[in-house]
Amino acid sequence: MVEVENLNKIYTVGSKQEKVLDGITFHIQKGELVLLRGVSGSGKTTLLSILAGMEKPSSGKVLIDSEPISKLPDIHLSHFRAKKIGMVFQHFNLIENLTLLDNVLVPLVANRVGLKEAKEMALAALKNARIEHKKDAYPNRLSGGEKQRGAIARAIVAKPSLLLCDEPTANLDSKNSQSFIEQLMQMHKEGQTIVVATHDPIFETLECEHRIIDIKNGKIV
Amino acid sequence: MNSLFLNNQVIVYIFSETVLALLTLIIFVMALKFIRYWDFNSFSNFQLKLEKEANLVMTIATFLFTLKLLLLIYFVYTIDNLSLIVPGAMCGAGVISANDYGMTLLFVKIIVIFGLLLFLVVNHYDLLGKNYPLFRFKSWVIVTAALLIFGEFYLDISYFTNIDTSVPVSCCSALFGNLEGANPLPFGLDIKMLLVLFFTLYFGAVVALYLESRLLSTLLLALFGVIAYYSVVYFFGTYVYELPTHKCPFCMLQKEYNYIGYLIWGSLFFGLYFGFIWVIMSLRSYKLERIKLASILLLTLFVAINSFYVANYYLHNGVLLENIK
Ligand SMILES: Nc1ncnc2c1ncn2[C@@H]1O[C@H](COP(=O)(O)OP(=O)(O)O)[C@@H](O)[C@H]1O
Ligand SMILES: [Mg+2]
Repeated sequence: MVEVENLNKIYTVGSKQEKVLDGITFHIQKGELVLLRGVSGSGKTTLLSILAGMEKPSSGKVLIDSEPISKLPDIHLSHFRAKKIGMVFQHFNLIENLTLLDNVLVPLVANRVGLKEAKEMALAALKNARIEHKKDAYPNRLSGGEKQRGAIARAIVAKPSLLLCDEPTANLDSKNSQSFIEQLMQMHKEGQTIVVATHDPIFETLECEHRIIDIKNGKIV
Repeated sequence: MNSLFLNNQVIVYIFSETVLALLTLIIFVMALKFIRYWDFNSFSNFQLKLEKEANLVMTIATFLFTLKLLLLIYFVYTIDNLSLIVPGAMCGAGVISANDYGMTLLFVKIIVIFGLLLFLVVNHYDLLGKNYPLFRFKSWVIVTAALLIFGEFYLDISYFTNIDTSVPVSCCSALFGNLEGANPLPFGLDIKMLLVLFFTLYFGAVVALYLESRLLSTLLLALFGVIAYYSVVYFFGTYVYELPTHKCPFCMLQKEYNYIGYLIWGSLFFGLYFGFIWVIMSLRSYKLERIKLASILLLTLFVAINSFYVANYYLHNGVLLENIK
Protein backbone atom coordinates (compact mmCIF):
# COMPACT_ATOMS: atom_id res chain seq x y z
CA MET A 1 0.00 0.00 0.00
CA VAL A 2 2.73 2.44 1.05
CA GLU A 3 6.36 1.70 0.25
CA VAL A 4 9.05 4.11 1.29
CA GLU A 5 12.63 3.23 0.54
CA ASN A 6 15.76 5.16 1.39
CA LEU A 7 13.91 8.46 1.37
CA ASN A 8 15.98 11.61 1.80
CA LYS A 9 14.88 15.21 1.93
CA ILE A 10 17.37 18.03 2.01
CA TYR A 11 16.34 21.65 2.43
CA THR A 12 18.79 24.25 1.26
CA VAL A 13 18.50 27.46 3.24
CA GLY A 14 20.95 30.03 1.97
CA SER A 15 24.18 28.14 1.57
CA LYS A 16 23.36 25.68 4.32
CA GLN A 17 21.99 22.25 3.55
CA GLU A 18 19.78 20.64 6.15
CA LYS A 19 19.00 16.95 5.95
CA VAL A 20 15.42 16.81 7.24
CA LEU A 21 14.77 13.19 6.30
CA ASP A 22 17.64 10.74 6.27
CA GLY A 23 17.37 7.28 4.75
CA ILE A 24 13.76 6.60 5.78
CA THR A 25 12.53 3.11 4.89
CA PHE A 26 9.21 1.54 5.86
CA HIS A 27 6.20 -0.26 4.41
CA ILE A 28 2.56 0.10 5.41
CA GLN A 29 0.00 -2.59 4.68
CA LYS A 30 -3.57 -1.86 3.70
CA GLY A 31 -5.74 -1.23 6.76
CA GLU A 32 -2.84 -0.52 9.11
CA LEU A 33 -2.91 2.28 11.67
CA VAL A 34 0.54 3.82 12.01
CA LEU A 35 1.63 6.37 14.59
CA LEU A 36 4.53 8.50 13.47
CA ARG A 37 6.05 9.82 16.66
CA GLY A 38 8.76 12.36 17.22
CA VAL A 39 9.46 15.69 18.84
CA SER A 40 8.75 18.93 17.08
CA GLY A 41 11.19 19.45 14.21
CA SER A 42 11.96 15.77 13.77
CA GLY A 43 10.58 15.73 10.22
CA LYS A 44 7.05 14.33 10.63
CA THR A 45 5.26 17.01 8.64
CA THR A 46 7.85 16.80 5.89
CA LEU A 47 7.36 13.04 5.65
CA LEU A 48 3.57 13.35 5.49
CA SER A 49 3.85 16.07 2.83
CA ILE A 50 5.93 13.74 0.70
CA LEU A 51 3.45 10.89 1.20
CA ALA A 52 0.71 13.29 0.14
CA GLY A 53 2.64 14.29 -2.98
CA MET A 54 2.81 17.90 -1.86
CA GLU A 55 6.59 17.88 -1.52
CA LYS A 56 9.13 16.11 -3.70
CA PRO A 57 11.85 13.98 -2.11
CA SER A 58 15.49 14.76 -2.78
CA SER A 59 16.04 11.08 -3.45
CA GLY A 60 14.44 7.78 -2.64
CA LYS A 61 11.42 5.77 -3.60
CA VAL A 62 7.85 6.50 -2.54
CA LEU A 63 5.14 4.19 -3.89
CA ILE A 64 1.48 4.54 -2.96
CA ASP A 65 -0.80 1.87 -4.41
CA SER A 66 2.27 0.98 -6.53
CA GLU A 67 2.40 4.47 -8.09
CA PRO A 68 5.67 6.44 -7.79
CA ILE A 69 3.89 9.58 -6.67
CA SER A 70 7.00 11.73 -6.46
CA LYS A 71 7.51 11.16 -10.17
CA LEU A 72 4.01 11.70 -11.49
CA PRO A 73 3.61 14.63 -13.88
CA ASP A 74 1.57 17.43 -12.34
CA ILE A 75 -1.75 16.65 -13.97
CA HIS A 76 -1.60 13.08 -12.72
CA LEU A 77 -0.37 14.16 -9.32
CA SER A 78 -3.31 16.43 -8.51
CA HIS A 79 -5.71 13.79 -9.77
CA PHE A 80 -3.96 11.15 -7.71
CA ARG A 81 -4.06 13.34 -4.60
CA ALA A 82 -7.73 14.15 -4.94
CA LYS A 83 -8.55 10.49 -5.37
CA LYS A 84 -6.22 8.66 -3.03
CA ILE A 85 -5.15 10.93 -0.20
CA GLY A 86 -7.16 12.46 2.65
CA MET A 87 -5.48 14.90 5.01
CA VAL A 88 -6.31 16.22 8.45
CA PHE A 89 -4.18 19.09 9.72
CA GLN A 90 -3.35 20.58 13.07
CA HIS A 91 -5.07 23.83 12.12
CA PHE A 92 -8.00 22.07 10.42
CA ASN A 93 -7.57 24.28 7.31
CA LEU A 94 -11.26 24.66 6.55
CA ILE A 95 -12.20 27.38 4.09
CA GLU A 96 -13.68 30.19 6.17
CA ASN A 97 -16.27 31.50 3.74
CA LEU A 98 -17.78 28.14 2.87
CA THR A 99 -20.26 26.29 5.04
CA LEU A 100 -19.12 23.01 6.49
CA LEU A 101 -21.12 21.11 3.90
CA ASP A 102 -19.50 23.05 1.06
CA ASN A 103 -16.08 22.49 2.61
CA VAL A 104 -16.70 18.77 2.51
CA LEU A 105 -17.91 19.02 -1.09
CA VAL A 106 -14.61 20.55 -2.28
CA PRO A 107 -12.64 17.29 -2.76
CA LEU A 108 -15.56 15.79 -4.66
CA VAL A 109 -15.67 18.68 -7.08
CA ALA A 110 -11.98 18.01 -7.75
CA ASN A 111 -12.92 14.38 -8.41
CA ARG A 112 -15.70 15.41 -10.80
CA VAL A 113 -18.47 13.69 -8.91
CA GLY A 114 -21.96 14.80 -9.95
CA LEU A 115 -23.57 17.31 -7.57
CA LYS A 116 -26.43 15.16 -6.38
CA GLU A 117 -24.23 12.17 -5.62
CA ALA A 118 -21.61 14.50 -4.10
CA LYS A 119 -24.19 15.93 -1.67
CA GLU A 120 -25.19 12.46 -0.56
CA MET A 121 -21.55 11.47 -0.05
CA ALA A 122 -20.81 14.69 1.85
CA LEU A 123 -23.78 14.22 4.19
CA ALA A 124 -22.77 10.61 4.80
CA ALA A 125 -19.21 11.73 5.64
CA LEU A 126 -20.51 14.44 7.99
CA LYS A 127 -22.73 11.89 9.68
CA ASN A 128 -19.83 9.48 9.94
CA ALA A 129 -17.77 12.20 11.62
CA ARG A 130 -20.71 13.02 13.90
CA ILE A 131 -20.99 16.63 12.81
CA GLU A 132 -23.98 16.42 10.47
CA HIS A 133 -26.02 18.82 12.65
CA LYS A 134 -23.59 21.67 11.88
CA LYS A 135 -23.53 21.23 8.12
CA ASP A 136 -24.77 24.76 7.39
CA ALA A 137 -22.47 26.51 9.86
CA TYR A 138 -19.42 28.51 8.83
CA PRO A 139 -16.09 27.37 10.35
CA ASN A 140 -15.66 30.47 12.56
CA ARG A 141 -18.84 29.48 14.39
CA LEU A 142 -17.48 26.05 15.28
CA SER A 143 -15.47 24.93 18.28
CA GLY A 144 -12.05 23.30 17.83
CA GLY A 145 -13.51 19.83 18.23
CA GLU A 146 -16.28 20.55 15.75
CA LYS A 147 -13.82 21.95 13.22
CA GLN A 148 -11.69 18.83 13.55
CA ARG A 149 -14.69 16.60 12.94
CA GLY A 150 -15.52 18.71 9.89
CA ALA A 151 -11.94 18.28 8.71
CA ILE A 152 -12.20 14.52 9.16
CA ALA A 153 -15.41 14.49 7.13
CA ARG A 154 -13.63 16.37 4.36
CA ALA A 155 -10.64 14.04 4.49
CA ILE A 156 -12.66 10.85 4.16
CA VAL A 157 -15.48 11.99 1.89
CA ALA A 158 -13.75 10.84 -1.31
CA LYS A 159 -12.92 7.49 0.29
CA PRO A 160 -9.14 7.90 0.05
CA SER A 161 -6.82 4.90 0.15
CA LEU A 162 -4.64 6.69 2.65
CA LEU A 163 -5.64 9.04 5.46
CA LEU A 164 -2.86 11.27 6.77
CA CYS A 165 -3.28 13.20 10.02
CA ASP A 166 -0.71 15.79 11.09
CA GLU A 167 -0.86 16.58 14.82
CA PRO A 168 -4.64 16.20 14.79
CA THR A 169 -5.04 16.74 18.54
CA ALA A 170 -2.60 19.62 19.01
CA ASN A 171 -5.38 22.20 19.09
CA LEU A 172 -7.94 20.12 20.94
CA ASP A 173 -8.69 19.82 24.66
CA SER A 174 -8.44 16.39 26.26
CA LYS A 175 -12.13 15.62 25.85
CA ASN A 176 -12.12 16.41 22.16
CA SER A 177 -8.80 14.60 21.73
CA GLN A 178 -10.35 11.51 23.27
CA SER A 179 -13.30 11.83 20.92
CA PHE A 180 -10.90 12.12 17.97
CA ILE A 181 -9.15 8.94 19.05
CA GLU A 182 -12.47 7.12 19.19
CA GLN A 183 -13.20 8.22 15.65
CA LEU A 184 -9.76 7.11 14.59
CA MET A 185 -10.37 3.65 16.01
CA GLN A 186 -13.74 3.53 14.31
CA MET A 187 -12.18 4.34 10.92
CA HIS A 188 -9.45 1.78 11.56
CA LYS A 189 -12.10 -0.82 12.28
CA GLU A 190 -13.72 -0.02 8.95
CA GLY A 191 -10.43 -0.83 7.22
CA GLN A 192 -9.10 2.66 6.51
CA THR A 193 -5.31 2.90 6.17
CA ILE A 194 -4.17 5.70 8.48
CA VAL A 195 -0.93 7.47 9.35
CA VAL A 196 -1.00 9.86 12.32
CA ALA A 197 1.97 12.14 13.01
CA THR A 198 1.90 13.26 16.61
CA HIS A 199 3.88 13.97 19.73
CA ASP A 200 0.76 14.02 21.91
CA PRO A 201 1.13 11.54 24.81
CA ILE A 202 -2.59 10.85 24.70
CA PHE A 203 -1.89 8.34 21.92
CA GLU A 204 0.13 6.22 24.38
CA THR A 205 -3.12 4.69 25.52
CA LEU A 206 -4.46 3.87 22.07
CA GLU A 207 -6.64 0.80 22.55
CA CYS A 208 -6.45 -0.82 19.15
CA GLU A 209 -3.92 -2.60 17.04
CA HIS A 210 -1.38 -0.14 15.71
CA ARG A 211 2.23 0.25 14.79
CA ILE A 212 4.60 2.92 16.01
CA ILE A 213 7.34 4.49 13.93
CA ASP A 214 9.62 6.70 15.99
CA ILE A 215 11.47 9.37 14.14
CA LYS A 216 14.35 11.46 15.47
CA ASN A 217 16.33 14.05 13.53
CA GLY A 218 14.90 12.71 10.31
CA LYS A 219 15.86 9.08 11.03
CA ILE A 220 13.76 6.14 12.10
CA VAL A 221 14.92 4.93 15.53
CA MET B 1 23.54 51.81 -46.73
CA ASN B 2 21.97 49.61 -44.11
CA SER B 3 19.17 51.89 -43.04
CA LEU B 4 16.93 48.85 -43.18
CA PHE B 5 18.46 47.17 -40.17
CA LEU B 6 17.35 50.14 -38.09
CA ASN B 7 13.77 49.91 -39.23
CA ASN B 8 11.48 49.69 -36.19
CA GLN B 9 9.85 46.42 -37.14
CA VAL B 10 13.18 44.83 -37.98
CA ILE B 11 14.60 45.92 -34.62
CA VAL B 12 11.64 44.42 -32.76
CA TYR B 13 11.93 41.26 -34.80
CA ILE B 14 15.70 40.83 -34.40
CA PHE B 15 15.51 41.64 -30.70
CA SER B 16 12.80 39.03 -30.15
CA GLU B 17 14.69 36.46 -32.18
CA THR B 18 17.84 37.13 -30.15
CA VAL B 19 16.07 36.63 -26.84
CA LEU B 20 14.41 33.46 -28.12
CA ALA B 21 17.69 32.14 -29.50
CA LEU B 22 19.34 32.61 -26.10
CA LEU B 23 16.51 30.78 -24.36
CA THR B 24 16.77 28.09 -27.01
CA LEU B 25 20.44 27.68 -26.18
CA ILE B 26 19.49 26.93 -22.57
CA ILE B 27 16.91 24.30 -23.40
CA PHE B 28 19.23 22.85 -26.04
CA VAL B 29 21.93 22.20 -23.43
CA MET B 30 19.37 20.86 -20.97
CA ALA B 31 17.86 18.55 -23.57
CA LEU B 32 21.31 17.11 -24.33
CA LYS B 33 21.72 16.47 -20.62
CA PHE B 34 18.35 14.72 -20.52
CA ILE B 35 19.24 12.52 -23.46
CA ARG B 36 22.51 11.56 -21.81
CA TYR B 37 21.32 10.90 -18.25
CA TRP B 38 17.53 10.41 -18.15
CA ASP B 39 16.59 7.16 -16.41
CA PHE B 40 13.00 7.23 -15.26
CA ASN B 41 13.31 4.01 -13.28
CA SER B 42 15.96 5.47 -11.03
CA PHE B 43 15.03 7.13 -7.74
CA SER B 44 18.42 8.76 -7.30
CA ASN B 45 18.92 12.32 -6.21
CA PHE B 46 20.21 13.15 -9.68
CA GLN B 47 17.25 11.68 -11.56
CA LEU B 48 14.72 13.39 -9.28
CA LYS B 49 16.56 16.65 -9.89
CA LEU B 50 16.40 16.01 -13.65
CA GLU B 51 12.66 15.47 -13.36
CA LYS B 52 12.23 18.83 -11.65
CA GLU B 53 14.41 20.51 -14.26
CA ALA B 54 12.47 18.75 -17.01
CA ASN B 55 9.29 20.40 -15.79
CA LEU B 56 10.90 23.80 -16.06
CA VAL B 57 12.58 23.13 -19.39
CA MET B 58 9.41 21.80 -21.02
CA THR B 59 7.47 24.82 -19.78
CA ILE B 60 10.08 27.16 -21.24
CA ALA B 61 10.11 25.18 -24.49
CA THR B 62 6.34 25.36 -24.80
CA PHE B 63 6.37 29.10 -24.18
CA LEU B 64 9.28 29.62 -26.53
CA PHE B 65 7.89 27.57 -29.36
CA THR B 66 4.50 29.20 -29.14
CA LEU B 67 6.13 32.62 -29.33
CA LYS B 68 8.15 31.55 -32.35
CA LEU B 69 4.98 30.53 -34.15
CA LEU B 70 3.59 34.01 -33.59
CA LEU B 71 6.87 35.58 -34.59
CA LEU B 72 6.73 33.87 -37.98
CA ILE B 73 3.52 35.70 -38.77
CA TYR B 74 5.19 38.92 -37.66
CA PHE B 75 8.16 38.11 -39.90
CA VAL B 76 6.00 37.65 -42.97
CA TYR B 77 4.12 40.82 -42.11
CA THR B 78 7.40 42.72 -41.68
CA ILE B 79 8.77 41.46 -44.98
CA ASP B 80 5.62 42.57 -46.67
CA ASN B 81 5.80 46.01 -45.07
CA LEU B 82 9.44 46.42 -46.04
CA SER B 83 8.46 46.33 -49.66
CA LEU B 84 7.52 49.99 -49.17
CA ILE B 85 11.14 50.81 -48.33
CA VAL B 86 13.18 48.49 -50.52
CA PRO B 87 13.37 50.08 -53.96
CA GLY B 88 11.83 48.03 -56.73
CA ALA B 89 9.94 45.69 -54.38
CA MET B 90 6.17 45.66 -54.72
CA CYS B 91 5.61 42.89 -52.21
CA GLY B 92 7.45 40.39 -50.06
CA ALA B 93 8.82 38.61 -53.12
CA GLY B 94 11.21 41.44 -53.90
CA VAL B 95 12.24 41.87 -50.27
CA ILE B 96 12.90 38.17 -49.73
CA SER B 97 15.05 37.99 -52.84
CA ALA B 98 16.99 41.16 -52.00
CA ASN B 99 19.90 38.87 -51.16
CA ASP B 100 20.81 35.19 -51.28
CA TYR B 101 19.83 34.56 -47.65
CA GLY B 102 16.14 35.41 -48.01
CA MET B 103 14.81 32.28 -49.67
CA THR B 104 16.96 29.99 -47.51
CA LEU B 105 15.73 31.81 -44.41
CA LEU B 106 12.12 31.37 -45.43
CA PHE B 107 12.68 27.71 -46.19
CA VAL B 108 14.42 27.09 -42.85
CA LYS B 109 11.57 28.86 -41.07
CA ILE B 110 9.04 26.56 -42.68
CA ILE B 111 10.99 23.56 -41.38
CA VAL B 112 11.50 25.12 -37.94
CA ILE B 113 7.77 25.65 -37.54
CA PHE B 114 7.27 21.97 -38.22
CA GLY B 115 9.75 21.13 -35.47
CA LEU B 116 8.04 23.47 -33.02
CA LEU B 117 4.63 22.07 -33.74
CA LEU B 118 5.91 18.52 -33.48
CA PHE B 119 7.38 19.34 -30.08
CA LEU B 120 4.13 20.85 -28.81
CA VAL B 121 2.22 17.72 -29.83
CA VAL B 122 4.82 15.26 -28.51
CA ASN B 123 5.13 17.15 -25.24
CA HIS B 124 1.37 17.16 -24.79
CA TYR B 125 1.10 13.41 -25.16
CA ASP B 126 4.21 12.80 -23.11
CA LEU B 127 2.70 14.64 -20.16
CA LEU B 128 -0.55 12.70 -20.52
CA GLY B 129 1.37 9.52 -19.76
CA LYS B 130 2.36 8.71 -16.21
CA ASN B 131 5.97 7.80 -16.90
CA TYR B 132 6.96 10.33 -19.59
CA PRO B 133 6.65 7.75 -22.40
CA LEU B 134 7.94 10.15 -25.08
CA PHE B 135 10.56 11.92 -23.02
CA ARG B 136 13.68 10.89 -24.91
CA PHE B 137 11.98 11.47 -28.23
CA LYS B 138 10.84 14.94 -27.30
CA SER B 139 14.32 15.80 -26.07
CA TRP B 140 15.61 14.84 -29.49
CA VAL B 141 12.96 17.02 -31.07
CA ILE B 142 14.16 19.93 -28.92
CA VAL B 143 17.78 19.32 -29.88
CA THR B 144 16.96 19.15 -33.58
CA ALA B 145 14.63 22.13 -33.47
CA ALA B 146 17.21 24.11 -31.50
CA LEU B 147 19.93 23.44 -34.10
CA LEU B 148 17.57 24.63 -36.81
CA ILE B 149 16.71 27.70 -34.74
CA PHE B 150 20.41 28.56 -34.42
CA GLY B 151 20.75 28.26 -38.19
CA GLU B 152 17.66 30.37 -38.62
CA PHE B 153 19.06 33.01 -36.29
CA TYR B 154 22.30 33.17 -38.27
CA LEU B 155 20.28 33.59 -41.45
CA ASP B 156 18.06 36.22 -39.79
CA ILE B 157 21.07 38.36 -39.00
CA SER B 158 22.79 37.74 -42.32
CA TYR B 159 19.64 38.48 -44.22
CA PHE B 160 18.67 41.72 -42.53
CA THR B 161 22.22 43.12 -42.45
CA ASN B 162 22.68 42.50 -46.15
CA ILE B 163 19.80 44.33 -47.69
CA ASP B 164 21.19 47.29 -49.55
CA THR B 165 18.43 49.86 -49.84
CA SER B 166 20.31 51.74 -52.55
CA VAL B 167 20.16 48.81 -54.95
CA PRO B 168 16.82 48.13 -56.59
CA VAL B 169 15.53 44.55 -56.40
CA SER B 170 13.30 42.65 -58.77
CA CYS B 171 9.64 42.36 -58.03
CA CYS B 172 7.46 39.32 -58.41
CA SER B 173 6.71 39.81 -62.09
CA ALA B 174 10.40 39.41 -62.83
CA LEU B 175 10.92 36.57 -60.36
CA PHE B 176 7.89 34.45 -61.09
CA GLY B 177 6.78 35.83 -64.46
CA ASN B 178 7.35 33.83 -67.56
CA LEU B 179 9.48 36.39 -69.28
CA GLU B 180 11.94 34.25 -71.20
CA GLY B 181 9.33 31.76 -72.22
CA ALA B 182 11.08 29.00 -70.30
CA ASN B 183 8.74 26.67 -68.44
CA PRO B 184 9.01 27.46 -64.71
CA LEU B 185 7.03 24.39 -63.67
CA PRO B 186 8.77 21.31 -62.29
CA PHE B 187 8.97 17.94 -64.11
CA GLY B 188 8.21 19.72 -67.40
CA LEU B 189 4.54 20.00 -66.49
CA ASP B 190 2.08 22.27 -68.19
CA ILE B 191 -0.74 24.00 -66.31
CA LYS B 192 -3.29 21.39 -67.24
CA MET B 193 -1.15 18.51 -65.96
CA LEU B 194 -0.27 20.58 -62.89
CA LEU B 195 -3.95 20.88 -62.02
CA VAL B 196 -4.66 17.23 -62.67
CA LEU B 197 -1.82 16.39 -60.31
CA PHE B 198 -2.99 18.99 -57.80
CA PHE B 199 -6.43 17.46 -57.37
CA THR B 200 -5.26 13.86 -57.73
CA LEU B 201 -2.56 14.28 -55.10
CA TYR B 202 -4.91 16.11 -52.77
CA PHE B 203 -7.43 13.33 -53.09
CA GLY B 204 -4.76 10.65 -52.75
CA ALA B 205 -3.19 12.25 -49.68
CA VAL B 206 -6.53 12.62 -47.94
CA VAL B 207 -7.47 9.02 -48.69
CA ALA B 208 -4.06 7.76 -47.58
CA LEU B 209 -4.42 9.65 -44.31
CA TYR B 210 -7.93 8.41 -43.87
CA LEU B 211 -6.83 4.82 -44.48
CA GLU B 212 -3.87 5.46 -42.15
CA SER B 213 -1.22 4.36 -44.59
CA ARG B 214 1.96 5.94 -43.29
CA LEU B 215 4.19 5.47 -46.30
CA LEU B 216 1.62 6.59 -48.81
CA SER B 217 0.58 9.56 -46.68
CA THR B 218 4.16 10.76 -46.38
CA LEU B 219 4.83 10.40 -50.07
CA LEU B 220 1.61 11.98 -51.27
CA LEU B 221 1.70 14.82 -48.73
CA ALA B 222 5.25 15.71 -49.76
CA LEU B 223 4.39 15.64 -53.46
CA PHE B 224 1.21 17.56 -52.86
CA GLY B 225 3.20 20.23 -51.01
CA VAL B 226 5.45 20.79 -54.01
CA ILE B 227 2.66 20.70 -56.58
CA ALA B 228 0.42 22.90 -54.39
CA TYR B 229 3.12 25.56 -54.18
CA TYR B 230 3.46 25.76 -57.97
CA SER B 231 -0.30 25.56 -58.47
CA VAL B 232 -0.90 28.54 -56.23
CA VAL B 233 1.87 30.65 -57.73
CA TYR B 234 1.23 29.83 -61.38
CA PHE B 235 -2.49 29.18 -61.48
CA PHE B 236 -4.71 29.85 -58.46
CA GLY B 237 -2.86 33.04 -57.54
CA THR B 238 -3.71 34.59 -60.86
CA TYR B 239 -7.38 34.21 -59.94
CA VAL B 240 -6.80 35.84 -56.58
CA TYR B 241 -5.26 38.77 -58.44
CA GLU B 242 -7.63 38.40 -61.37
CA LEU B 243 -4.70 38.99 -63.64
CA PRO B 244 -3.25 36.23 -65.85
CA THR B 245 0.28 37.61 -65.69
CA HIS B 246 0.45 38.23 -61.94
CA LYS B 247 2.32 35.22 -60.56
CA CYS B 248 3.37 35.72 -56.98
CA PRO B 249 3.16 33.91 -53.64
CA PHE B 250 3.50 37.12 -51.62
CA CYS B 251 1.14 39.78 -52.97
CA MET B 252 -1.87 37.85 -51.70
CA LEU B 253 -0.66 38.57 -48.17
CA GLN B 254 -1.55 42.20 -48.70
CA LYS B 255 -4.63 44.13 -47.69
CA GLU B 256 -5.83 44.54 -51.30
CA TYR B 257 -6.47 40.81 -51.36
CA ASN B 258 -8.02 40.66 -47.87
CA TYR B 259 -4.85 39.06 -46.50
CA ILE B 260 -6.13 35.81 -48.04
CA GLY B 261 -2.52 34.65 -48.50
CA TYR B 262 -2.23 34.02 -44.78
CA LEU B 263 -5.18 31.66 -44.98
CA ILE B 264 -4.04 30.01 -48.20
CA TRP B 265 -0.47 29.36 -47.10
CA GLY B 266 -1.49 28.77 -43.50
CA SER B 267 -4.01 26.07 -44.38
CA LEU B 268 -1.55 24.41 -46.75
CA PHE B 269 1.42 24.35 -44.38
CA PHE B 270 -0.51 23.45 -41.26
CA GLY B 271 -2.44 20.83 -43.18
CA LEU B 272 0.87 19.29 -44.26
CA TYR B 273 2.43 19.69 -40.80
CA PHE B 274 -0.43 17.92 -39.09
CA GLY B 275 -0.35 15.17 -41.68
CA PHE B 276 3.36 14.54 -41.12
CA ILE B 277 2.91 14.79 -37.36
CA TRP B 278 0.18 12.20 -37.56
CA VAL B 279 2.59 9.88 -39.41
CA ILE B 280 5.41 10.43 -36.92
CA MET B 281 3.19 9.94 -33.89
CA SER B 282 1.64 6.81 -35.36
CA LEU B 283 5.16 5.39 -35.70
CA ARG B 284 5.25 5.80 -31.92
CA SER B 285 1.91 3.96 -31.79
CA TYR B 286 -0.16 7.03 -31.04
CA LYS B 287 -3.20 7.17 -33.30
CA LEU B 288 -4.13 10.82 -33.10
CA GLU B 289 -7.54 11.06 -34.69
CA ARG B 290 -7.93 14.78 -34.15
CA ILE B 291 -4.55 15.60 -35.70
CA LYS B 292 -5.43 13.45 -38.69
CA LEU B 293 -8.78 15.16 -39.00
CA ALA B 294 -7.17 18.60 -38.65
CA SER B 295 -4.81 17.74 -41.48
CA ILE B 296 -7.61 16.54 -43.75
CA LEU B 297 -9.80 19.54 -42.97
CA LEU B 298 -7.02 22.10 -43.48
CA LEU B 299 -5.94 20.60 -46.80
CA THR B 300 -9.56 20.53 -47.88
CA LEU B 301 -9.96 24.15 -46.84
CA PHE B 302 -6.84 24.98 -48.85
CA VAL B 303 -8.17 23.28 -51.96
CA ALA B 304 -11.61 24.81 -51.41
CA ILE B 305 -10.33 28.39 -51.11
CA ASN B 306 -8.26 28.03 -54.26
CA SER B 307 -11.09 26.46 -56.21
CA PHE B 308 -13.44 29.13 -54.93
CA TYR B 309 -11.38 31.89 -56.51
CA VAL B 310 -11.47 30.14 -59.89
CA ALA B 311 -15.18 29.33 -59.67
CA ASN B 312 -16.01 32.81 -58.51
CA TYR B 313 -14.12 34.37 -61.39
CA TYR B 314 -15.75 32.07 -63.90
CA LEU B 315 -19.25 32.74 -62.57
CA HIS B 316 -18.73 36.49 -62.78
CA ASN B 317 -16.96 36.63 -66.08
CA GLY B 318 -18.05 33.51 -67.91
CA VAL B 319 -14.49 32.87 -68.99
CA LEU B 320 -11.25 31.52 -67.51
CA LEU B 321 -8.12 33.68 -67.33
CA GLU B 322 -6.16 31.23 -69.48
CA ASN B 323 -8.55 31.85 -72.35
CA ILE B 324 -8.13 35.62 -72.33
CA LYS B 325 -5.75 36.54 -75.10
N1 LIG C 1 10.32 24.57 3.62
C1 LIG C 1 11.32 24.38 4.49
N2 LIG C 1 12.51 24.97 4.29
C2 LIG C 1 13.55 24.76 5.15
N3 LIG C 1 13.47 23.98 6.22
C3 LIG C 1 12.31 23.37 6.49
C4 LIG C 1 11.18 23.53 5.64
N4 LIG C 1 10.15 22.80 6.14
C5 LIG C 1 10.64 22.23 7.27
N5 LIG C 1 11.92 22.57 7.47
C6 LIG C 1 12.76 22.09 8.59
O1 LIG C 1 12.70 20.70 8.61
C7 LIG C 1 12.73 20.22 9.94
C8 LIG C 1 11.57 19.27 10.16
O2 LIG C 1 10.37 19.99 10.06
P1 LIG C 1 8.93 19.27 10.17
O3 LIG C 1 8.87 18.24 9.15
O4 LIG C 1 7.90 20.32 10.15
O5 LIG C 1 9.01 18.60 11.59
P2 LIG C 1 7.82 18.18 12.55
O6 LIG C 1 6.57 18.14 11.74
O7 LIG C 1 8.24 16.86 13.05
O8 LIG C 1 7.75 19.19 13.62
C9 LIG C 1 12.70 21.44 10.84
O9 LIG C 1 14.00 21.66 11.31
C10 LIG C 1 12.27 22.54 9.93
O10 LIG C 1 12.85 23.74 10.31
MG1 LIG D 1 4.80 19.19 12.09
